[in-house]
Amino acid sequence: MPVVLSGKEQSLFRTVVRNYEDKQYKKGIKAAEQILKKNPKHGDTLAMKALCMNSQGKTEEAFALAKVALTCDMKSHVCWHVYGLLWRAVKNFEEAIKAYKFALRLEPESVQIQRDLALLQVQMRDYQGYLVSRRAMLAARSTIRQSWTALAVAQHLSGDLAQAEGVLTSYEETLKNPPSKTDFENSEAVMYKNSLIAEQGDYQRALEHLESAGKHNLDRLAVFELRATYLTKLDRTEEATKAYRALIDRNSEYKTYYDGLIKAMGVAPTDHKAMIAVYDEYAEKYPRCDAARRLPLDFLEGDDFKAAADKYINRMLDKGVPSTFANLKHLYSSDFKKEVLPSLVQQYIDSGKSEKSEEPKRNGDTSKGASAAFYFLAQHYNYYLSRDLDKAMDFIDKAIELEPKSVDFHMTKARIWKHYGNTQKASEIMELARTLDTRDRHINTKAAKYQLRNNESEAALKTMGMFTRAETVGGPLADLHDMQCVWFLTEDGQSYARQGKTGLALKRFTSIFNIFDVWQEDQFDFHSFSLRKGQIRAYVDMIRWEDQLREHPFYSRAALSAIEVYIKIADKPLLNGSNGTAGLSEEDAAEQRKAAKKARKEAQKAEREALAKKNEPNKSTREGDNDPKKKDDDPEGIKLAATTEPMNDAMKFLTPLLQFSPKNIDVQLAGFEVFIRRKKYVLALKCLLAAAALDREHSKVHSQSIRFKLALDKELDTINPKTAEVIKSEFNLIPASVPLAKFNDEYLSKHKDCARRTLSGLTTRRLLSPDASPSVEKDIVDILKFPTVTSEEATEAYEVLKSWKSSEVDTFKSSATQTWPKATIFA
Amino acid sequence: MDIRLLRPSDIPHVQHANITNLPENYFMKYYLYHALSWPQLSYVAVDVSRPKKTPYDYPRIVGYVLAKMEEEPADGVQHGHITSLSVMRTHRRLGIAEKLMRQSQRAMVETYGAQYVSLHVRVSNNAALRLYRDTLGFKNEKIEAKYYADGEDAHSMKLDLGFIREQILDEEDEDEGGPVGEMGKKNEDPEVEAGPKKRKVRVGRGLGIGDLVEKNESQKA
Ligand SMILES: CC(C)(COP(=O)(O)OP(=O)(O)OC[C@H]1O[C@@H](n2cnc3c(N)ncnc32)[C@H](O)[C@@H]1OP(=O)(O)O)[C@@H](O)C(=O)NCCC(=O)NCCS
Repeated sequence: MPVVLSGKEQSLFRTVVRNYEDKQYKKGIKAAEQILKKNPKHGDTLAMKALCMNSQGKTEEAFALAKVALTCDMKSHVCWHVYGLLWRAVKNFEEAIKAYKFALRLEPESVQIQRDLALLQVQMRDYQGYLVSRRAMLAARSTIRQSWTALAVAQHLSGDLAQAEGVLTSYEETLKNPPSKTDFENSEAVMYKNSLIAEQGDYQRALEHLESAGKHNLDRLAVFELRATYLTKLDRTEEATKAYRALIDRNSEYKTYYDGLIKAMGVAPTDHKAMIAVYDEYAEKYPRCDAARRLPLDFLEGDDFKAAADKYINRMLDKGVPSTFANLKHLYSSDFKKEVLPSLVQQYIDSGKSEKSEEPKRNGDTSKGASAAFYFLAQHYNYYLSRDLDKAMDFIDKAIELEPKSVDFHMTKARIWKHYGNTQKASEIMELARTLDTRDRHINTKAAKYQLRNNESEAALKTMGMFTRAETVGGPLADLHDMQCVWFLTEDGQSYARQGKTGLALKRFTSIFNIFDVWQEDQFDFHSFSLRKGQIRAYVDMIRWEDQLREHPFYSRAALSAIEVYIKIADKPLLNGSNGTAGLSEEDAAEQRKAAKKARKEAQKAEREALAKKNEPNKSTREGDNDPKKKDDDPEGIKLAATTEPMNDAMKFLTPLLQFSPKNIDVQLAGFEVFIRRKKYVLALKCLLAAAALDREHSKVHSQSIRFKLALDKELDTINPKTAEVIKSEFNLIPASVPLAKFNDEYLSKHKDCARRTLSGLTTRRLLSPDASPSVEKDIVDILKFPTVTSEEATEAYEVLKSWKSSEVDTFKSSATQTWPKATIFA
Repeated sequence: MDIRLLRPSDIPHVQHANITNLPENYFMKYYLYHALSWPQLSYVAVDVSRPKKTPYDYPRIVGYVLAKMEEEPADGVQHGHITSLSVMRTHRRLGIAEKLMRQSQRAMVETYGAQYVSLHVRVSNNAALRLYRDTLGFKNEKIEAKYYADGEDAHSMKLDLGFIREQILDEEDEDEGGPVGEMGKKNEDPEVEAGPKKRKVRVGRGLGIGDLVEKNESQKA
């Protein structure tokens, strides 16, 4: 039987609740203990105590206590609610939802429990559950708009647009007086409804609704944009033309508007004359407008292009705009334009020089035009489509001569060194650029990045530290974590990976993984906040984006890097396996085993210490601070690197990649590498087929196909016969009748001009017949003679030879140094 | 460079641009707070000409303005505030910052009936000062000593948005009634509900939205 409290104790219990709400957990626990002295089995008090303890960071004790509370009083909604809250705090949302549902069954009228449940349901995208909750909440509070809007959102998200619209209409019908024009909540609700109508594809009705209900809407831009869109969809071209003109008058820097206008005017995309007339009109109307002057360069050809480009370039260089090249380089996809642009700049220089002596006019600074022109040409020759690094260097030095203190010019010079493959020099020059303007964070950022590329990890962090907040506990690195500085953590990790510092590399990549967890969690508060604010369209946008959060390249870049590191860990013990020639020398292997043992020992020690600390009272936790910052028990990533199951660990990164970025070929290739090592042949094949569908001739698709066939032949007995049948029928990349060596030879001859594919074919040849190694190694050196070989490809080839401990390494190196004399990478 | 409204999916790159260019940085949730409270006010400049590397490329943001309405204006006057503005060094002097600001200012008036817009800028930041004062017409309000974390003073600046209001009235003259009135809207409680069971999880980036409201005063650009 549940314990019943006396009157005095009941009031004490209310104090506990209040203390908890005020975040006075210590006081709350004290008061709870007072009650428990007399009533040690009072479930609700035990539960509240557990909740307070949880807020103090004592998760395990809190869970234990909450369970005791439940055994004391299985029928208490408080106990179940608290139990749910504890699960929610450790982010086990499924369990939390279960507990809330129990609580709600015991106390169906509780607004609080119902709401907590609803919020978790939408967070978990349990739309069916969310609908049920929202219906119940509407029934309980049908007078406020929020309840209706919330139900409409639930229906919208679950895909029922017409119902959602209907709910909004039902609410509108309950209104006696029309809301005032400045009622923001109403204004947004109208636009939300409008978006629902349009999403159903009924543009006619959407337009009518927009022009009646939305006429004076406070979100003017949305009204303008939607009107233009609807009119276009409805082929009301004359009005659409006007609508787009109104949009350009608001914002003349948005290509979409010009495109819309030109389409609405019925101008054919080939009618350049009519198109240019439109742009000219706006260029004249808006003297500071860039788009109207630049966009025609996209479609103009021949002399028309020349004339327009000349005008544009003169204008920009006269002003000395440093970003001129950045604004034009996309035109380089056309060979003609790639030729014309630098020649126009050269003309500018030639004519400007003579002008210079006569009259200093350009902004009162003659050098401005000339240095900007030299700068343009330096960037031109540094760009990958028009690269001639020696010329680039020449021009940047000329520009620097005119303006020795220019940060931008030095930045480009550093970049040129980077493209030479000289990370050392690149880093030095970027650091020099930084000192020219120590107050600009952008150049500081670049300096740090180049230090990382040059594997100067410590120096880079020091550079970053010039702009991180000094007061952050834990220094610059902690601040960069707090501020979710994704680029730094990724580059830092990749730098460590290059240096072979596996633990730190994994540590950084894991930080990125965790940041994405935080970003996902971040939406939680907005499920209720946005309804109160009434900003529904932005909220729905956010939900849709969060649904795809991990497709972001910020995630895939870090995740792919992490997987690469894990693969290296997995392959290490294999290297000294049966294949003697490929393996390490006995000495190296022993060294490696020793290192691994040491790392494991250190990891165990770190774990022990962390445990010991956990049991100490956490002194740093202040009252009111509901989040004791947990101390990192593995700051160097030693534990991460000491993993004995690297391929399992890699799955954590791989699963979201395969789910959200399946069309990224690198993802499928990485998936293959993980699954083949885990001997999951069906899954490996699935990745391989997906990669082949994206690029059949990819160098790695080729080598993976052959490796797959080899593995299959070897492991056939261990595979379940039915599965083997499936695999055989699905695997269509290599015809069963063709011998692998022949297949490989065909690939090699087909791609004899491509360095990367040749490298892939050659390593595969060695895999198929280890005896061929000496000739393969020689052939790899010959890749350097390919006319199109890049320094990146050469680096890959070099790494392959080094990993084989090939006797050709030195030959390769000296030959590569001749081709890329300035590069440090072959050092 | 396209100038357009900020969308939630832009936020990672906006955050990247911010931490690349400025020492005043914010975690994701603070950007979400802006984008979901005043979705009309923040704008981005996008490099649309970049070739895509994967089907999952997001537009690269080369400049942004992050703006808000003052939640509880001390002077009781509706006004906007610029939380952060920056443009990548590679894309400066193209007029991007100016255009971002103008779009935001207009929306402040149209949607929220803002009377003026305020901002803070480092006393040493000449480029930004020129932009605000000479190009956009901001006036110096006062100097706030040691406003920034590193001890530097800030100019507190203000721009009266009356000229935009007039412009709008001119444009929509034929329409009956003024398009924009005073916002008669009550200030709703911006706090995350403080019900007995509502938890906040983590210091800093795990803050509830309510905490962000307080925080923003000390974290302006
Ligand atoms: C300040 C900043 C945002 C300006 O961005 P921008 O896009 O280059 O500026 P715009 O091209 O729109 O410039 C508009 C006007 O501002 C003034 N201006 C901008 N940069 C200037 C500079 N470096 N020196 C002098 N005036 C400058 C000019 O009057 C310019 O008009 P003009 O080009 O016709 O002469 C940019 O320099 C930046 O991001 N700096 C670092 C971050 C920062 O300081 N942000 C402001 C924090 S409050």
